[in-house]
Amino acid sequence: MTLNLKTFLTHKFFPKGAEFEPLYHEFRGIIERNNQIFDLMADMGDKLGGEYVFDRKYISDCADSFEKLIHDQITAYCVLSGRKNQTLFRTFDKVRQAIRMEIQGQYRLPDGDAVIPLGSLGENAIELAGNKMSVLAHLRNRLLLPVPDGFVITSGGFVEFMQKNKLLKQAAAMAPDREDDGHFREAAAELQDRILNGSIPRKLSREILTQFDRLADRLQQNNLRVSLRSSAWEEDGRASFAGQYSTILNVSRKELLDGYRQIIASAYKPEAWRYRLEKGYLEHEVQMAVGCQSMVNGAISGVLHTLAPNIHQDSMVINASWGLCELVVQGNHLVDTYIVSRISPFALRQSEIVSKEIRLVPGKEGNVVEETIPAEIADIACLNPAMLTKLAQTALRIEHYYKRPQEIEWTVDSSGNLQILQVRQLQFRGRRLPPEGEFEDSLRQARTIFGGRGFAAQCGIGVGRVFKIEENDKLEDIPQNAILVSRFSSPRYGSVMHKLQGIITDAGSPTGHMAALAREYRIPTVVNTGIATSMLKQGQEITLDATQRVVYEDALYALSHFELIEEEVFEDSYEYRLLTRIGRLINQLHLTHAKDESFTPAACRTYHDIAQFIRVKAVDLFIRISEESKFKNMSIARRLASEIPLGLLVVDAGDGTDCPQVSDRIEPVQIKSLPLKALLEGLIELEMWATTPVSVNLKSFMSSFTRTFCASLASPEEIGRNLAVVMKNYMDINLRLGYHFTVMDAYLSETAEDNYINFRFFGGVTDLARRSRRALFIARVLEYFDFVVEIRGDLVTARLKKLALRRMQKRMRMLGGLIGYTRQLDASMNSDQDITCHVENFIKAIKSTIGGDNERRNSS
Amino acid sequence: MSEETAAEKNALRIMVLDDEPIVCKRLKPTFEKMGHTVETFTDSVKAIARLKETSFDVVITDLKMEGADGIQVLNGAKSASSETQVIIITGFATSETAKESYSKGAVEFIAKPFKIGDIVNCVKRIEKERQEKQKTQSSIES
Repeated sequence: MTLNLKTFLTHKFFPKGAEFEPLYHEFRGIIERNNQIFDLMADMGDKLGGEYVFDRKYISDCADSFEKLIHDQITAYCVLSGRKNQTLFRTFDKVRQAIRMEIQGQYRLPDGDAVIPLGSLGENAIELAGNKMSVLAHLRNRLLLPVPDGFVITSGGFVEFMQKNKLLKQAAAMAPDREDDGHFREAAAELQDRILNGSIPRKLSREILTQFDRLADRLQQNNLRVSLRSSAWEEDGRASFAGQYSTILNVSRKELLDGYRQIIASAYKPEAWRYRLEKGYLEHEVQMAVGCQSMVNGAISGVLHTLAPNIHQDSMVINASWGLCELVVQGNHLVDTYIVSRISPFALRQSEIVSKEIRLVPGKEGNVVEETIPAEIADIACLNPAMLTKLAQTALRIEHYYKRPQEIEWTVDSSGNLQILQVRQLQFRGRRLPPEGEFEDSLRQARTIFGGRGFAAQCGIGVGRVFKIEENDKLEDIPQNAILVSRFSSPRYGSVMHKLQGIITDAGSPTGHMAALAREYRIPTVVNTGIATSMLKQGQEITLDATQRVVYEDALYALSHFELIEEEVFEDSYEYRLLTRIGRLINQLHLTHAKDESFTPAACRTYHDIAQFIRVKAVDLFIRISEESKFKNMSIARRLASEIPLGLLVVDAGDGTDCPQVSDRIEPVQIKSLPLKALLEGLIELEMWATTPVSVNLKSFMSSFTRTFCASLASPEEIGRNLAVVMKNYMDINLRLGYHFTVMDAYLSETAEDNYINFRFFGGVTDLARRSRRALFIARVLEYFDFVVEIRGDLVTARLKKLALRRMQKRMRMLGGLIGYTRQLDASMNSDQDITCHVENFIKAIKSTIGGDNERRNSS
Repeated sequence: MSEETAAEKNALRIMVLDDEPIVCKRLKPTFEKMGHTVETFTDSVKAIARLKETSFDVVITDLKMEGADGIQVLNGAKSASSETQVIIITGFATSETAKESYSKGAVEFIAKPFKIGDIVNCVKRIEKERQEKQKTQSSIES
């Protein structure tokens, strides 16, 4: 039975009328809720990996839980601080409103500049830049594919323009009139006219022209021409607005602002407007961003379909002609056709070369003009084998990222460089690909190498050859389309993810930093399999089904085809996007350094910020309150006298110490609380380790550790003030050492049934890789000592229950050692190899001092 | 018996019913990939009507829905064919609803959100039991 602490404290230990109890409960509540907040954030992160089925109810339940937790947290902090904390409540209200609006599907104008360079579009690209341009930004910024440079006039810019001309209200008022076609057309024409004559806010037009000039500088073109493309929400997404909005090619600086107005006006062409209304789009969902990219003077252009089941199984189809891409898109001229295998090396299966008469070229005065193709090239194929391979390779990378067959508009400039112009999904809804039976046959014959192990960090199918990577291997050696197999997960793989088909690791967590990166790049990833490096051979061809966590022998293309026709890609589902957006409002942390001047309520922007602020401040406050001995009938907080400057204040809540009432210091020998006594023994008695025969490394490490610890962190103010509330059998301790936190509560008594230790460790300021390594180190040590351990990012939680007192005490001493050992560890965690090394060293040191192996519990 | 007919026999007819479309969208390809036939519904009344037309080997249903609730679907499925195995999935998991579901004949009660692997294992178990039952039956007959 786990002890109910509240009852315990209230009834057994506090005399009536003591003021300590209510404040302690508020404080205790803050720490407990803080743990719940962290758990909930980690839980939401887990759901994004694709291994779980979750629905909107889950998302709104999460939002409700956060709302309550954060509200209670602020309220408790008000009680503790005796202040109203209106700033915190205001931030809370703002975040709550934003989350509620998201859940109710109401539009929120995203934060961001009105005009943004393509290269700077990141996470919230889709809301700012619309579908078409956010796709191009992802291709350019994440997959590092060639996309013409440019910028986006965002949905925010659209709203500015429309509001300035009072057109949003007019559009909303006119929308219901569509029953009367004549009237609807008239209204649309009037609205378009007003847009074409609308005035662009001065700030916006200045930004547009500035970005144009910067683009010209980047490309070193004096007479830069650009293409302007509409990029509305959902355009080219699941609903196809293909061809409904305008594109203007070969636009000069002088024509730029007029061009912008024309694209905006095309949102209100009667056909487009009607289509939108019929599809159930609300007027506020029309957010027309406009893409502005340098005009590529294409020598050869065309359209590629990554899948063409009507024409040929397992093939891509490419149409191509001379000149600009528009001609091929229009579809009213004869063009060349190539059918290319989808499987590397992309054999040409068939081609049809026609006599091509006309090509489109940029006109001198803007726009494009037709031109007769010179006789010597009219009848020859415009694509050579090398270019076909390059196209096929590029196309499959795009398909692999979006997990959908793609239609790709491309062009090759006069220097022979491929550029991607536009990309949209091909829909094969309701079709079975490959044909009936073939898929089942292929799967039935497939040989499983292993399955059901580890966690899916990112779902999906990957086909490729195993590339096993060791700690010191160079990442550049990883070949294209490899499946990376490694012992540990590591965020450094982020830099090669665009090349990978999949990742499998022996160790790692689905909410770690590498997992987050795998999700960003959508690389099918399974972590913590335990056996991947031993089961898979270098260069072996395998198929990874991360969704089901199975690894098959050989390349099962049927399986990856199957994925292409799933009705909805998980990452494109409304629920996924909603959870991601809400996650951003909750999880992002802006307050990192407690000592910074910016560590204020006003700087809080997310729930995570609020939680972090309150946690740190509550500990400080509680210490101050204890120090000022405001409690009646309560011993005051006493500073622990120890050689190690822990900055630890001890509050005795009942029989936890043996010390005169008047003293404000306490010696370690006066600590009677069993858990704290054991912990301090581990923490303080470092000399004990130095004298035992341990490896040279550890010895030197420990001595340098002791030195730095005493010399550089002599003042408690520098390491934060730490607090332990103790009783004879109980301890509740908050330690902030440097920038990381250890939070523990424990109950140790002769009754093994009641005994427990809860341990949490988080924070740190070094880079993600080092922090992840440190978390892994702690987890592996704790597992060795029988704790049940969970790692989520850099948060380690561990529990241990129901061991006999003696064993509990040994483990508590070990924790003391661990806290000391780990204090500076992240700085020295240079490689994954260091984890194993430190684990071995630490366990060896512990065994030689306070016992290890022989004390291990028989697993029950 | 040829391999193909064996495969056909092993394929299950599965109904997935949940008023949240995302659940149907994610479960359908999962089971199709295993070679089963899947019909999905977001409207419980339509699902019950479908159960009157044809029987399913497995019915996976949400509990709390507009129109008819999961227990009604469970009853409908069981009265159409006692062989039908019903899996209840719910975001409102309590010991009461679990108890009720089991007492009415549900084979499994899964709280949402759940891991795809959990429900796959559950269906695999049903598949295996079915095969064993068929094996015993055919050995009795021969």
